[in-house]
Amino acid sequence: MTQFMFQTPQALREALGKQQYIASDEIATILFLSNQLDKPLLVEGPAGVGKTELAKAIAGATQRELIRLQCYEGLDETKALYEWEYAKQLLYTQLLRDKLQETLSGITTLSEAADRLAQEEDVFFSDRFLLQRPLLRAILSEKPVVLLIDEIDRSDAEFEAFLLEVLSDFQISIPELGTLSARHIPLVVLTSNNTRELSEALKRRCLYLFIQYPTLEQELAVVRLKVPELSADLARQAVELVQRLRKMDFRKAPSISETLDWAKALVKLNASMLDENTLQTTLSILLKHENDLQRARKLIKQDQPLRDERRINRWPEDR
Amino acid sequence: MEQRIVQFISALRNSGVRVSLAESEDAFHAIRLMGVQDRDVFQMALRSTLVKDFHAIPVFDELFPLFFGHNQPPVGENVLQNLTPDELEMLAQALEQLAQRWRNLLDRLMEGDQLTDEELAQLAMLTGLQNIDQMRYREWMSRRMEQSIGLSKLDEALEALLELLEAMGMEMEKQQELKAAFQANARALSEQIRQYTGEQIARQISEQPPEAAQNEVYQRPFHALSEKDMEVLRKDVKRLASLLRTRLALRRKRAKNGRLDPKSTIRHNLRHQNVPIVLKFRDRQLKPRLVVICDISTSMRYCSELMLSLLYTLQDQISKTFAFAFIHDMEFVSPYFSGRTVQEAVREILVKNPSGYYNTDLGSSLETYVKGYFDTLDSRTTFIVVGDGRNNYNDPRIDLVEKINRRARQLIWLNPEAPHLWGSGDSDMLKYAQWCDLLLHVRNLSDLTAAIDRLLT
Repeated sequence: MTQFMFQTPQALREALGKQQYIASDEIATILFLSNQLDKPLLVEGPAGVGKTELAKAIAGATQRELIRLQCYEGLDETKALYEWEYAKQLLYTQLLRDKLQETLSGITTLSEAADRLAQEEDVFFSDRFLLQRPLLRAILSEKPVVLLIDEIDRSDAEFEAFLLEVLSDFQISIPELGTLSARHIPLVVLTSNNTRELSEALKRRCLYLFIQYPTLEQELAVVRLKVPELSADLARQAVELVQRLRKMDFRKAPSISETLDWAKALVKLNASMLDENTLQTTLSILLKHENDLQRARKLIKQDQPLRDERRINRWPEDR
Repeated sequence: MEQRIVQFISALRNSGVRVSLAESEDAFHAIRLMGVQDRDVFQMALRSTLVKDFHAIPVFDELFPLFFGHNQPPVGENVLQNLTPDELEMLAQALEQLAQRWRNLLDRLMEGDQLTDEELAQLAMLTGLQNIDQMRYREWMSRRMEQSIGLSKLDEALEALLELLEAMGMEMEKQQELKAAFQANARALSEQIRQYTGEQIARQISEQPPEAAQNEVYQRPFHALSEKDMEVLRKDVKRLASLLRTRLALRRKRAKNGRLDPKSTIRHNLRHQNVPIVLKFRDRQLKPRLVVICDISTSMRYCSELMLSLLYTLQDQISKTFAFAFIHDMEFVSPYFSGRTVQEAVREILVKNPSGYYNTDLGSSLETYVKGYFDTLDSRTTFIVVGDGRNNYNDPRIDLVEKINRRARQLIWLNPEAPHLWGSGDSDMLKYAQWCDLLLHVRNLSDLTAAIDRLLT
């Protein structure tokens, strides 16, 4: 019932294209599979290759609400799942004081009063006072949603363990209310930058998609789509330079989002060609470390082709 | 097909990719859904369900074509079809005059036929392919099989043949054509052999029985470990680390209830008209910073390797690690760990510092450290030495250890040598001991794990 309207990966791919997301066959196929199998999708890859963007695009393509949970160190259940709204509970007890006295009137012993009060306990631990956090919201939503759990590798190991119940059975246990099952199974996308190993248990429950830096043609297509004002020639030159920079051993290689920022900057500056001056002034949009910047500047100034230095790479070069 | 997939999964497992039962079930679901018509889609479906680690993707990509390949290596062309009857005659004569050992080879290449299954099986038998169960021997085995059908002598044979043909007066152009055709056929054959060896080895990998658990290896002293035991331990470091991590994280979480934090409490209770309903506590747990100095001389190698592996697998529980390795001089080895798996990094460090006779010299190593890297040490940092304190009668530089001790939060020494040997021969352990806050005897991996658990708290 929660499966979306696309019958084939190709249809999904076109729909993503309409959301201005250029998906490769691999991305479309695996995303399609993840939906058909009702399995969460774990997306890994270098920073800035469009992992989060993918979740947004799929939400747009299926016209579902996107619920986002940004992970960070120290994130716990009360911020991810639910919290009782203590202040509101307190307020209600104050306001309902008269009513309470009425309920308890005519009772003489303490234990009897406690019993009577216990009957009304449900009022205070009901949905009314439950503050829904992203996970609970995704589970209880009336309509199917897309749940994005962003940068899961930043959260603690125990939070990961806590996610397991949500991801495999799509249900949440709340001690006071019992187990809440999902009305619609959400489409779950987890992203990770691989700053630490995720647990096997979590990986087992997900499908795995690794997004690599795009090829020249793919990246060019993205730039042409997102920054149509940039002339075709200039766009190609710019993307070629970025691709060359990526091959170098920088502390942080420029990502697609940085390429886009740069392309936009070139438009704003009315640049007609990539001359040295333009490059020197705008290069800081691509490279964010002073060392990298200086090295790149030096290399461009000498106008020597950037050497393919041996690269200490977090990610496999090619697959 | 299902049988093939099961074999594939078992080959993946035996090549070190962890695939659980649930994941293989997913793979079958996915394939039922996507079908097997499109090879690329089929590959993606398998990959996304079976491989959850980008380090394992190359392994998958290597094995996949061996199980689900086209099985159709390129067919060579018939050399003879472009020749005129005269030229055919010439070729036949030339071949006749060639030495026997070259003639067999050229005869085989002439038609451009592939090797039959029986021939391949025979070759495999001859070269002992059935005993190989590691992919890294693939190229070697292919070469041996090529050698045994004489493919390696092709250049020589061709040269001899062309010489004869030249003498008989064949056109130059025709000769070159012939040569190219022979070479193309040879390439097709070697491609077929490569494919065959790959498939065979993959099958043998998939048929290996799963390794039995060896608990006893944890208890075995470092000096008694064989390379094979180390393989087992290396694989297990990850599991140990996750065990440690859970323990550490829990401890850290529980420890949050430190002192009351009045400022934060007031801030949080503004909405309750400053009635302190929610109490806030100070979170004083800081993740440790470490400087680790490892002796990687032959006697200490395994211990140091496991120590580094464990520490780097636990990086998320540590705020910063500076790792150094020494034999006769200190080297900063942290950069090796960026972008590699821990095992690759350690291997590279060991390749850079090969075993052999070395003059272990902690004293001058410490001097290098204090001169070049002393800024890595501050009052929050724990300084760890993994070594046996045997200095080959060099100056132990106790003064430097004292200096380090005064600056660091604590100085911990892990020594795999039994305490009664400390101070004997060239051991300076007892002199160093006075400046250690903690001196632990780590005989085996269990001890090491316990030691790390202790120092990260």
